[in-house]
Amino acid sequence: MFEDVFNLTLLQNTIRTATPLVLAALGGLLTMHAGILNIGMEGMILIGAFFGVLGSYFFSSSLMGVLLAVLSGTLIGLLFGVFTIELKSDEFIIGIAINIFAGGLTVFLLRSIFGVKGAFSSPDIMPLPDVHLPLIDKIPFLDTIFNNHSLFVYISWILVLVVYVFLYKTPYGYWLRAAGEHPESLENVGVSPKKMKYLSAILCGIFCGLAGAHLSLGYLTLFTENMSAGKGFIALAAIIFGGSNPIKTFGAALLFGFFDALGIRLQGVGIPSQFTQMIPYLATVFALFVVAQRKLKLKGR
Amino acid sequence: MINIKLKQNIEYLTSLFLSVFAALFIGALIMMINGQNPMVGYKALVVGAFGTKYKIATTFAKTVPLILTGFATAISFMSGIFNIGGEGQLYLGAFAAAYIGFTFTNLPVFVAVILAILASALVGGLYAYFPGVLKVKYNIDEVITTIMLNSVAILFTTYLVNYPFQATQGKMGGTDMIGLSYKFTKLVKLSKLNTSIFYTAIIAIVMYYIIKKTSFGYNFKMVGENSIFSRYAGLANKKYMIRAMVISGALCGIAGCFEVYGVHYRFLQNISKGYAFDGMLVALIVRNNPLGIIFMSLFFAMLKTGSISMEVATGIPSELMLVIQSIIILFIAGEQGFKNIFKKFRANRRKLVK
Repeated sequence: MFEDVFNLTLLQNTIRTATPLVLAALGGLLTMHAGILNIGMEGMILIGAFFGVLGSYFFSSSLMGVLLAVLSGTLIGLLFGVFTIELKSDEFIIGIAINIFAGGLTVFLLRSIFGVKGAFSSPDIMPLPDVHLPLIDKIPFLDTIFNNHSLFVYISWILVLVVYVFLYKTPYGYWLRAAGEHPESLENVGVSPKKMKYLSAILCGIFCGLAGAHLSLGYLTLFTENMSAGKGFIALAAIIFGGSNPIKTFGAALLFGFFDALGIRLQGVGIPSQFTQMIPYLATVFALFVVAQRKLKLKGR
Repeated sequence: MINIKLKQNIEYLTSLFLSVFAALFIGALIMMINGQNPMVGYKALVVGAFGTKYKIATTFAKTVPLILTGFATAISFMSGIFNIGGEGQLYLGAFAAAYIGFTFTNLPVFVAVILAILASALVGGLYAYFPGVLKVKYNIDEVITTIMLNSVAILFTTYLVNYPFQATQGKMGGTDMIGLSYKFTKLVKLSKLNTSIFYTAIIAIVMYYIIKKTSFGYNFKMVGENSIFSRYAGLANKKYMIRAMVISGALCGIAGCFEVYGVHYRFLQNISKGYAFDGMLVALIVRNNPLGIIFMSLFFAMLKTGSISMEVATGIPSELMLVIQSIIILFIAGEQGFKNIFKKFRANRRKLVK
């Protein structure tokens, strides 16, 4: 039984379950750096997943699906931005509103466009292509784990580096971080913190849109009600666990993806999966506690 | 002083009606795009919520969890601490109440019900106490911890009903039934309206008293009045923050208890479909006003019940109401911002005219 759970497929599944977390977390950490706590990622992913299926189905092209997911992500990110930045509403209320809005809107559209309840799948939905890497297929071990994944898996890895470089090596990244930490001094240099915040909100929407498209067009081609199923919150956990650093957050997302994959496999052999599923949430609370305690100790000195 | 307050209230009520109207208008537009007549749709909605005795009962039954979680939100937000963990507290409370009900099946009804309510309040309150302490002692963002603890509680109860406390016969994902005699009496045949609405009324009165009259409530107001929509503003009194969290959690736990004893008669793994979040929206929309919570709960309950009849009558998917609800909250949350922009716009125009 041990071999049934802990084998190479587990690692392969880890990569698969971690990818939507990685994508969404990359977006969320950008808003985090800009000083906005976005708990609406859950809804943003859901909207991306729906519009991914919609585009792919009607245009018979996964590219169109992705485009529509990105477009819807842009709009929902913009909506989030307008309310939190322009209208100065509380970011977390808007986050909750977006989650409820997304849950209602996607089911409403699912029923009024496709006329189905619960789930929509069709052979006309074009999936995202799998990628076959030519060199590692010679090495059986690496081949099983890393090869033949859906396209977005590899794109997400590239994006981790892109976001890292963007944040720490470009002026835009510098400004974006300053917009969160020292908005006044940023203004003094003549850069609008508002614009940088908008940039982060829209990018977050786009990243969550990609995460959603991966969910609905990656390994499965279907949309189901509430298919984001807490992934937005686990992504938030990964961001906090990874201290908003893209590389560390990537690591946290992989770790949480591992526990997710492990849970699914444990369930396959009749062991409850709930405790492994809890780990990301508990780990985050614990991490926050450790950081806070360290801070208190430093203050005490 | 009174005049300022009155003016503020009138201003707020105006924004509230504008927001609700705008959201319903957007809903009407969506119906039209969908090829349906919004007048027919909204009429079916109202008739569906209040048309018959059964429908009125169904609507009122739906106010119970909304009012309880609405007050739970209000008391925490007023004191400058944001309990978003209501959903988790509700699940744990519901399970605790169900546990009492299916374990001790031979108690006098009165004792069993009191025990169940106490157990649910205790468990819910305790589960809210931890993030409260983490916030006050370690300054850990309670928004994040309560969100995380929601998932933990739901997963934990899912485990409980699927493994150690799985029903001996019948339903998957549910516990055994509570003692037959413990079930709350139904007020209207076949509907879900039961005596929990009276208990809810009592709790609402107590909460009204706590919020409006006691020095406890006075402190609540001093602590958080300005931070209803901006949680970093104002100095919060730590002692009251923790107390508010515990009361808030207890109310959510009791909401779970009433779902078990009044509606399902057992714990189910998906017993709440986001009641705590709905209640949160209710409290936010009316800015924690006790009377407002009751009226807005009724309005939300009307949308919920009516939308199902509307769907049957006109084919408009009932989820449209979720869209409308979230649009209302968006407008209300953006109210101050809208006003500022409007003021600026008017000032600019005046400048141009001169």
